[in-house]
Amino acid sequence: MSILANKDTRVVIQGGAAGVNAARRMAEFCYLIKRPLNVEAFVYPPDAGKTNEIPYGSGLMAIPIYKTIAEATKSHSTINTSLVYIGADRAMKGAMEALDDSHIKVVSMITEGVPEKDAKLLGAHARKLGKVFNGPSSIGIISAGACRLGVIGGAFDNLVLSKLYREGSFGVITKSGGLSNEIIWICSQFADGITTAIGIGGDAYPGTDYVSYLEMFENDPQTKAVVIVGEMGGDLEERAAEWYGAKKRRVKLIGVVSGFCQESLPKGMKFGHAGAKEGMKGEGSARSKSDALKKAGAIVPPTFGALGPAIKDAYQELLKSGQIKEVIEPVSLPKLPKTVEEAIKADEVMVAPLIRTTISDDRGDEPCYDGYPASELINKGYEIPHVIGLLWDKRLISKQEAEIIKRIMMLSADHGPCVSGAYATILAACAGIGLSQAVAAGLIMIGPRFGGAVTDAGRWFKYAVDNKMNVDEFLAYMKKNVGPVPGIGHRVKSLRNPDKRVKELVGYVKSLHIKTPCLDFALQVEQVTAAKKDNLILNVDGTMAAVLVDLGFPVDSLNGFFILSRTIGLIGHWVDQKRQDSRLIRLFDYLVNYAAPKRREVPPLK
Amino acid sequence: MAKVLEGPGMGLMKKWGIHVPNYVVVTSADELAKLGQANDWMKNSKLVAKAHEALGSRFKLGLVKVGLDLAGAVAATKEMIGRQVGSITVTQVIVSEMIPHKEEYYCAVKSTREGSEILVANCGGIEVESNWDRVKRLCLEVGQAPTHEALEKLSKDAGFTGALTKKMADFSGKMFTCFDTEDAQYLEVNPVVIRESNGELVALDAVTLLDGDAKFRHPDWNFQFAAEFGRAYSKDEMEVMAVDSKIKGSVKFIEIPGGDTAMLPAGGGASVYYSDAVVARGGKLANYAEYSGDPPDWAVEVLTEKVCSLPGIKNIIVGGAIANFTDVKKTFGGIINGFRKAKGDGKMKNVKIWVRRGGPREKEGLDAMRALKDEGFDIHVFDRNTPLTDIVDKALQK
Repeated sequence: MSILANKDTRVVIQGGAAGVNAARRMAEFCYLIKRPLNVEAFVYPPDAGKTNEIPYGSGLMAIPIYKTIAEATKSHSTINTSLVYIGADRAMKGAMEALDDSHIKVVSMITEGVPEKDAKLLGAHARKLGKVFNGPSSIGIISAGACRLGVIGGAFDNLVLSKLYREGSFGVITKSGGLSNEIIWICSQFADGITTAIGIGGDAYPGTDYVSYLEMFENDPQTKAVVIVGEMGGDLEERAAEWYGAKKRRVKLIGVVSGFCQESLPKGMKFGHAGAKEGMKGEGSARSKSDALKKAGAIVPPTFGALGPAIKDAYQELLKSGQIKEVIEPVSLPKLPKTVEEAIKADEVMVAPLIRTTISDDRGDEPCYDGYPASELINKGYEIPHVIGLLWDKRLISKQEAEIIKRIMMLSADHGPCVSGAYATILAACAGIGLSQAVAAGLIMIGPRFGGAVTDAGRWFKYAVDNKMNVDEFLAYMKKNVGPVPGIGHRVKSLRNPDKRVKELVGYVKSLHIKTPCLDFALQVEQVTAAKKDNLILNVDGTMAAVLVDLGFPVDSLNGFFILSRTIGLIGHWVDQKRQDSRLIRLFDYLVNYAAPKRREVPPLK
Repeated sequence: MAKVLEGPGMGLMKKWGIHVPNYVVVTSADELAKLGQANDWMKNSKLVAKAHEALGSRFKLGLVKVGLDLAGAVAATKEMIGRQVGSITVTQVIVSEMIPHKEEYYCAVKSTREGSEILVANCGGIEVESNWDRVKRLCLEVGQAPTHEALEKLSKDAGFTGALTKKMADFSGKMFTCFDTEDAQYLEVNPVVIRESNGELVALDAVTLLDGDAKFRHPDWNFQFAAEFGRAYSKDEMEVMAVDSKIKGSVKFIEIPGGDTAMLPAGGGASVYYSDAVVARGGKLANYAEYSGDPPDWAVEVLTEKVCSLPGIKNIIVGGAIANFTDVKKTFGGIINGFRKAKGDGKMKNVKIWVRRGGPREKEGLDAMRALKDEGFDIHVFDRNTPLTDIVDKALQK
């Protein structure tokens, strides 16, 4: 048997992330003891109507979230226990709601830092209703082989090591979360393990004290001994001693009390637990508690270290007297399924990758671009063009190449508000569209007629150079198979009104005295086409394309230079419109040629 | 619990209608001199000047002066401000009106398991301690307020007679209201005296312990809490408190001068058992510390740095029980970083480190600790199979 929590316990958890985490731990325990998940519902108003996914074995349980306790217990009438994981300032209200629900018999509060008065009010209210209010600051309650409430018991491995999958003979009551596991572990190593372990919380006035739980253990025939882990402060241990000494008890009581160090420490010092503070005149000191327990007939080992052997002695005595028998351990226990990550780490499975990458890896402490750590690139003076080189062409480009790319980027960062991309972004910005979507609207304009000529120009210039065509052959080929030569021609620039950007770029590249077969070819093409019509000049797209092909960049990456640099301008346009709080644009009628039929009468429907 | 100094404590009592002497809290003699010009009571009555700090035995230290005139109070303030007592510098002085009186009474309200208790005695001052049986009590359940009849009975039981019975009943009723409304855990006025001019009961002193956890519902608590052990918090203690207030989980740190065994244990419960083990072995604690509730590694790192900075330490106890959900690897990561920093600053010479822990990712965490040996740390690492406080025994073996 067990107390407070058993195989019939059904739980609602009040609260958010911490409660979900607890539910996961509880599911691990349920899985270990081969019982269905005992968490039926959550109450967390912000997420009401949704579900929390709780892993159980290799599956996932969807546990519904409600707005109120009443809604939860109405839909799940078996709920009889609530765990409170709500913040300290709202915890009392939540716990009161649970206590006042007729379905709920036990409320355990995990929240720390709850005002003392709130805890007292909750304790008193629960007693009045004949219910149990456990906590605040409780690590939880666990009944071996039956039920886990909260995270008490620790990780899955620890549940197994502490033999919590089956019942033992020792009850445990502690104020400390960390020590509860320690005692459970000790009971499983020096004796046959526990029945129920309860974290009552480290506050000065916990909702339920040792005595109430001692009574319950006394009435639980499976529990043969109870271990209490006390500390200075308050009078819970003295009351336990008083209870134990009042008449002959069936259970053995074993207790340790911490806080002897206080005899040599500054008076009034505050320890980790709110309740751990000695009162005036030595009340609540470790010594007075320890003495009271001893006087009442409890086993009080001199130190914490001596607790294990004391439990062992008690266990041996119980065995000898025939009150308990040696436990036969189960042959096999469920193992928590490994996550894929764990299984891979243990070389147990091979998973076929979904995608493959050859350029970057950010699994370490920083991203590596083609193997080079980003910080090292920065610290050794590399710049954005080198990153482009690494990620687009898997190549650490030279300083000279980087300078060319930098100039291309600067020249194509923005071409005013009237070009398709910028106009689309401005239009979107005026319509109240967000930055990323508005910029995307501009970017999707990039295509064969706007900016997107870079890739095409690069492709065909390269085709001509690779196939050793002369200009005439090339123009004939293009006319027959492709159409107008991409990269040639401009709407406003011409021989008489030359494009300074092109002049600048060509001039710079030429000044480097590097081999530029594509650029040279493109310039030859320009000579022929511009002679035919003076606006058929080599434009920025064509120049960029030729230069980048000469630098060795893959043809498929060329539009990327335009997309990347133009993004700078598009973001600028969006911010500019936002800053001005621009109005929604509606096209003026006079900018539209209404070539639709004149107004006419609608014929009757046939 | 959070202790509040006399000034703000009296402020709270005044708020609930309890008469207190006129008082001011000043940070300089000039400030007091200026206030003296503006307040008649400071010119007309005798004054008391006390250092307004969390200091024990102020009287013995000469930090309480009575029967002063304004000039005397200014001089006393000048003398007290800036005085160094241990780690504390006196920065504030409370100057209050001295109330001549013949008799002294006692009134307190304290928190009990069931609710609260009102204590009244018709003796006060230092007499109370030796006449504790004369203190009468009225026990109240939580949520229950005392009736006037009950308060009058308490007053009578304590030996008050005549008009004073009702006055004391009123006084204790107001004390209860203050206690209950302000989320106090302990309120004590000793002594309560009669102001001869109008026969009103006046609180001459205030010991106020508030429930720090209830701060969220008291936006008017505009004062700082004081340390409860007779000294102010040190800079390192304050820094750890600041970290503690920011994080999920907790880190705690209190210095104990003169110790040689530094504590860096996990868990509010286990940390005390570790401290006990040190004392039981005849060791001298250099501090109390604790981290729990899966705090972030950087917070544990800050705590570790403070622990490593304690002067004259020979051993550091990194103890802990089997954690429920505190990630051992991660929190140990913070400790390891702290150790490395301290070593880099030349702090870990001749310091032995003792580790015992269990819990989530215990193996990885303990392995990482063990690896510190290769970095020249004198470190001894044990797992859950070594009983909790055995590392203390090993550390303090002669």
